[in-house]
Amino acid sequence: MTELIVQNVHKYLGGLHILKGASFTASRGSIVSLLGASGSGKTTLLRCVAGLEQPENGVIKIGGKAVLDGEKRMTVAPENRNIGLVFQSYALWPHRTVAENVAYGLRLRGVNKADTEKRVLDTLGNIGLGHLAERYPDQLSGGQQQRVAICRALVYQPKVLLMDEPLSNLDAKLREEARYWIRKLVLDLEICAVLVTHDQAEALAASDNILLLRDGAVAQEGAPQEIYDRPKSFFAADFLGANNVASGRISRNASGTRIQGDGWSLDGVVLGEGEDGDGKAVIRVEQVAVHGQPGPGRIEMRLEACLFLGDRWEYRLAWGAFRAKAFGTRPLASGQVWAEIPRQSVWLFPEAA
Amino acid sequence: MTLTLKIAAIAATAAFSATSLAVAASEEMVAEANKEGAIAIYAATDLSQAQALLDAFTAKYPGIKIDYNDVGTNGVYNRVISEAAAKQVGGDLIWTSGVDQAVKLGADGYLTQYESPEVASLPSWAVYDKTVYATTLEPIGIIYNKTVLPEDQVPQTRAELAALFAKPEFSGKIGTFDPEKSGVGFMIQTNDSKQRDDYWTLAEAFGAAKGKTYAATGAMRETVVSGENAIAFNLIGSYALDWVKTTPNLGVAFTKDYTAAFSRTAAIVKDGPHPNAAKLFLDFMLSKEGQDAIASKGMPSLREDVDAGLNIKTLNELVGGNLKPMALDASRLEFMEPAKRLEFLKQWHAAVKG
Amino acid sequence: MPAETASVSANAVSSHPTQGVATRPATTMPLPGNARAFRVTVISLLGLCVLAPILLIFYQSFLDGPFFTPASKLSLEAYRYILTDAMFYDALWNTVIMAAGMVIIAVPLGAGLAFLLTRTDVRFRKTLEVVVLVPMFISAIVLAFGYTVSVGPSGFITMLSRHIFGAAPWTLYSLTGIVIVTGLAHVPHVYLYVAAAMRNLPSDLEEAARSVGAPIWRVFLDVTMPMVLPALIFATALNLLVGFEMFGVPYVLGDPSGIVVLTTYVYKLTTLFGVPTYQLMAVVVVLLVLLTLPLVWYQRRLLRHGRRYAALGGKGPRTQVMRLGRTGQIIALSFVGLWLLVSVMLPIGGIVLRAFVDAWGQGVNPLEHLTVKHFGNLIEVPSLFRGIVNTVILSVVGGAAAVAIYLVIGLAGHRNQGFSNTLLDYMVLLPRAMPSLIVGLAFFWLFLFVPLLVPLRATLISLFAAYVIVGLSYGLRLLQGTLIQIGPDLEEAARTTGASIGQTWRDVVIPIVRPGLVGAWALIMIVFLRDYATGIYLMSAGTEVIGSLMVAQLQSGAMDTIAALAFVSILLTGVGLGLAFRLGAKIHD
Repeated sequence: MTELIVQNVHKYLGGLHILKGASFTASRGSIVSLLGASGSGKTTLLRCVAGLEQPENGVIKIGGKAVLDGEKRMTVAPENRNIGLVFQSYALWPHRTVAENVAYGLRLRGVNKADTEKRVLDTLGNIGLGHLAERYPDQLSGGQQQRVAICRALVYQPKVLLMDEPLSNLDAKLREEARYWIRKLVLDLEICAVLVTHDQAEALAASDNILLLRDGAVAQEGAPQEIYDRPKSFFAADFLGANNVASGRISRNASGTRIQGDGWSLDGVVLGEGEDGDGKAVIRVEQVAVHGQPGPGRIEMRLEACLFLGDRWEYRLAWGAFRAKAFGTRPLASGQVWAEIPRQSVWLFPEAA
Repeated sequence: MTLTLKIAAIAATAAFSATSLAVAASEEMVAEANKEGAIAIYAATDLSQAQALLDAFTAKYPGIKIDYNDVGTNGVYNRVISEAAAKQVGGDLIWTSGVDQAVKLGADGYLTQYESPEVASLPSWAVYDKTVYATTLEPIGIIYNKTVLPEDQVPQTRAELAALFAKPEFSGKIGTFDPEKSGVGFMIQTNDSKQRDDYWTLAEAFGAAKGKTYAATGAMRETVVSGENAIAFNLIGSYALDWVKTTPNLGVAFTKDYTAAFSRTAAIVKDGPHPNAAKLFLDFMLSKEGQDAIASKGMPSLREDVDAGLNIKTLNELVGGNLKPMALDASRLEFMEPAKRLEFLKQWHAAVKG
Repeated sequence: MPAETASVSANAVSSHPTQGVATRPATTMPLPGNARAFRVTVISLLGLCVLAPILLIFYQSFLDGPFFTPASKLSLEAYRYILTDAMFYDALWNTVIMAAGMVIIAVPLGAGLAFLLTRTDVRFRKTLEVVVLVPMFISAIVLAFGYTVSVGPSGFITMLSRHIFGAAPWTLYSLTGIVIVTGLAHVPHVYLYVAAAMRNLPSDLEEAARSVGAPIWRVFLDVTMPMVLPALIFATALNLLVGFEMFGVPYVLGDPSGIVVLTTYVYKLTTLFGVPTYQLMAVVVVLLVLLTLPLVWYQRRLLRHGRRYAALGGKGPRTQVMRLGRTGQIIALSFVGLWLLVSVMLPIGGIVLRAFVDAWGQGVNPLEHLTVKHFGNLIEVPSLFRGIVNTVILSVVGGAAAVAIYLVIGLAGHRNQGFSNTLLDYMVLLPRAMPSLIVGLAFFWLFLFVPLLVPLRATLISLFAAYVIVGLSYGLRLLQGTLIQIGPDLEEAARTTGASIGQTWRDVVIPIVRPGLVGAWALIMIVFLRDYATGIYLMSAGTEVIGSLMVAQLQSGAMDTIAALAFVSILLTGVGLGLAFRLGAKIHD
C-alpha cells in the first residue's frame, strides 16, 4: 500500500536550484533510501516531505492525502502531515525524560493518560529500553538515544517514518547492528519508511529501494542489487562499491566493445549512452581476480605492492598506464601476475558529447 | 497726593466689598471645594519647604486631598501648555518661582482670572491682571565661605562686590546663577540689567575673575561650603538665610545699596478639574494663616502682619533698606521673546568672556 | 516482494529531470503553520512603538513651535537656528572628541584586560572576571557623582592631596576629565566582546609564537590581537555609538565649566528660551540620529557576522593559558588593580563617604561628621521614598514583564526569514540611535496625546513602556542569544511529532530557555535600575525613579540627597548583580 507519493518536487534556495524535480513513492513495510553525497539534496528532499522546507513546486501525498500541491498553492504544516521524523542528532528534548519524550506525540493527539503510559512503556519495552524510561536523554548512550528517537517517532503510528542519517552518530559496530534492527522493525511493524543516508553500505543493506541523488535530481532508482549491478551512468557506477576507474578510448567492432589506453586495452560492455570516443571504464574491485600463473583470458600485469588488510590482501596492479586494485586471500610476490577481468564486469561509459 | 488718596479710597472700598463678598462666597466655595474633594498643584518648590503650608491647609479643610507635584519651573510651564493642548488639564493651581513664565502663561490665556479677597493685604505690584499672584518675597543675596573670606571683608555694596572680584586671590573662586540653565537665574540677571546701570560692569568683572556659573542655589552652596568657591552672588538669599543656621562656615550677605527680590507666584489653571478648591487654596495661601506657614519655612511673606518668619518689612530692614521687589507686570514678558532672550544671552556671554 | 512495493515514478529516471517542468514560481509559498500572523502582528506592533516616537520627533523638527499648539506651522526655522548656532558646533565637536577619546582609552584597556583574563594564568581570575564587569552596571550618573565627590574640585581625594602635597594637579570638570571617566567606565564593554572572541581562539597559534621565542606582549600584539580584530572593531563601533548617546557623565562633569555635548545641548535647550523649544531639541535629535545611523547599520552588519562567528565557536579546542611568571603576575595585577581603583573604588568610595557625612571641604575632617540623616530624608520625603519603591518595582516587576515582551518579540523573530526579519533587526537597533532622554520625552508626548494612553500617563506604565523601548536592543540580544542556542532539530522534532508552532514554543523552546530567561531578567533588572535619562521628562509625581530624581535634584544642588540616592542605587545594583550571577546570567553588553 503506497503511503507516500512525491512528484516532481522543485526547491530553490537563493539563486540555487536545490531540488530539480525529484519523484518517488514509498509503501508500507519497506524502506526507501535517499542516497547521495553531501549537497545532493537528499536531506532537503526529506525535509520537504516533512514540511520543514517549502518546495516551490511539486506534489506530495501522504496516506493518500495531498500535503503539498504546488499548482494549487496548497500546503500542510508539518504537525498535520502525520509523519515521524528521526533526526541525525536524535533531537531528544533535554528537559524531558525518555518517557516524556516518547509520550509527547500521544499527548498532542489527545490520548488519555493511562493509554499514553501503557503505549509508551510498551514501545520502550519492545526495543529493550523500558528500564530507562525515567532517565534524561543526557544519561543515555548514543545507541540508546537513537532508539528512543525512533520510539518517539513511531509511538503514535505515523503514516510515514522519515529518518535523516539516523546511524551516522553511532560507531561502526553499533551501526551494523542498528541497520539490521531498523530494517527488522520496519518489516515487523509494516511501517512505510524513508531513510536518508550518505553511506552506501547502509542503503544497500537496509533498503528495499534506493534513490541515488545527484545535484538535486534522481540519478538512478531501483532495488539495491539492481542499482549495484546495473548502473546506468558513470556516476552511479562510481558512487557505489569500491571501483577501479580508467580513462581511455572506446571503440566498437564486430566482436564487441573495447576500451584502449596507453599500453593497455580491455573488452567491456557499454552501459552509458553515447558515441565511440573518449570514455571511462569502471570495474568493481571484487571483479578482478589475481593469479600467480597465466591462463585463458588472463592478462599479464605487474604487481607493485601487496598490503595486508587483516581478513584479506590488497594487490596494487599496473599495466601500462592502467592501475587497478584487487583483493585476494594470500600474499603474492611483487612482479609478474595474471589478472582475470570478466568482460561483462568492465563497464564502459562514453563521455557525453 | 489726591491721586494717591483716591486710589487708596478705591482700594479700601474694593477691599471692603471684596471681603464681604468673599465671606459670603466663601461658604459656598468651601462647600463646592469639598465636593470636588481634591486639588492638584504643579509646583516648583521643594515639598519640604511647602509641607507647612499643605499641612495648615489640610488641617483647615480636611475634606480636600492635596496632590502636590514638584516638577520644577520648566516642568510647571510645560505641563500647563501641553495639558491644555491635549485638553487633558490635570493641574488646578501652579506655584512657581518662574515669574516670567507665570506672567506669560497668564498673558497667553492658560490661566483663569480670579480676584482673591486677600488682595487688599498685598502690595499692588504683587498681582498681575487678577491672574498671577505673588505669594512670597525672596531676596537675592550673596553666600561666602567664612574660612576664606572674613566677615569684615564681605562686600556691602555692588561696587565693593566688583572690587572684590578684581582681587587675584578670588580668581576662579566666584560663582553665580547661570542665566542659560536656570529660569530664575535668567530672571535675576535680566531684572538687574534693567534696574542697575552697573550690571554689565559687574558681569565683566565676574568674567575677568574667571567666575563659574551654576544651575541652582544649592549647587552654589555645595561649592562655597567645600571651599571650591569663596563667594557666590545673585542667588536666592532666603534659602541661604536658612542654611547658615546649620552650616558654621557659611555666611550670607545682601548688598545694602540694592537688593532685588522675586516672588514665588501662584495662579489658577484654566479648566482645571477642581476650580473651587483651587480658589480656596489660593485664598488660603494669601491669608495670614497661609503666609505664616510659608514664612515659617524661610520664604518671607508679603504681608506685614505675618510674624512666623520674615515679612516684607522685617526683610527690608535685614537687607539694609533697599529691597527692590520685581513687580508682576507686562514688562516681565519682554525677555520671554526668543530674540530678546538670545540677544541678552549673547551680550552676557560677551561680557563674562573675560 | 519488498522490491515490488516501491515503484519508480514517471520522470525520476530521466537524465534531464528539469525537462517539462514549470519555471520557478515568482514567490515561494510561506512555510505552513509558521505563525506568520503572529510574527507580522508582533513586528508591526513593535514597529509602531519604535517608529511612533521617532516619527513624532522628526515631525516636530519641521515645526516652529511645539507640535501640539495650534499656532505651530511647518518651518525650517529650527534647522536654521541650530545649524547657525555656534554652541551646536561646539557640542558636536565635543561629542566627537568625547566618543573618540573614550574609544581610544577603552579599547586598548579592554583588550588588554581580556587578554590577561582569558589567555594568561593571571591570579584571582575567577574573581576578577566578575569584578571587572562592575563599572558597566553602575548608573553613569552615579559614577559621575562619585567622581565629583572624590576627585572633583572639592572632592575628598582632592582635599587630601592638597592637604598632603599642597596641590591637586587635575581638573575633573574638563573635557579631558570626561574622556578619562567615560573611557575607564567603558572598559568592560570592550572587555566582554574581546574576551568572548579570545575564549574561542585555539591556543596552539599562541603557543607556536611562544615556541619561536616571542615574549607574552609580542604574542598579544602579533598573534592574539589580529585574530580578534572583528571583535575589536565591533567593540569600537559600539562604544562610539554609546559615546554619542552619553548624557550622565558630561552633564555632571561638563556642566559646571560649560562643556556641552550634543545630549546636554539638547537638555540645555529646555531652559535656554524660558519656554520649551521642542522644535530645536527635535532638530538636534534628528541630526544626532543621522549621525549615529551609519554606526547602527554597521553594527548590524558586524552583528550578523558575529553570530556566524559565534556559531562556529564553542567547540574550539581547549585553550591552554600562558604563564606570566612572577614579574608578569605583579605587572598584570597592578594594571588590573589600578584600573579597578580608579574606575570602581574611587567613585563608589566617594559616594559611600559622602552619603554618610554632613560637613566636608576645606579644614573639615569628614570622619568627625558622620551621620545617617540623609537617609532619613529618603524615608521622610514622600517623593524620594516613592522614587526608591518605584525603581524597585520597575526593575523587578517591570524587568520580568520586559523579558516576557522581549521573549514574544524574540519568538516572532525566531527562525524567521526574509524581509520582516531585516525589518525587526533595524527596529531593534533604531532606538539605540536616540538618547534615552529623548525617548522619554517622546513617550511623554505619546502618553499625553494618544487617547488610549492618556489615563496611563501618570502611572508607572508610561515609564515602563519607555524603558522597554530603551532596553530593547540589549534585552532582545540577550533573548536572541539564548534562543539561538536551541538546536533547530529540537523544535523540528516537536513539529513533526505533531505540535503546532505555538505548542512547540510552549512545550520545547520556553522550557529549554527558562534558565536563560531568568538570567536575562536579572540583567534587565539592573539596566532598568541604573537608568536615569528616560525618566527625566517622563516621570511625574507618583512615578519618580531614583536615577531621574538624582538629575532633578542636581538642578537644585541637593548633594546630600543625591549622595544618599546614589548610595541606594549602588546597593540595589549590587543586589541585582549578585542575583544575576547567582542565576547564572550570561552577560553581554
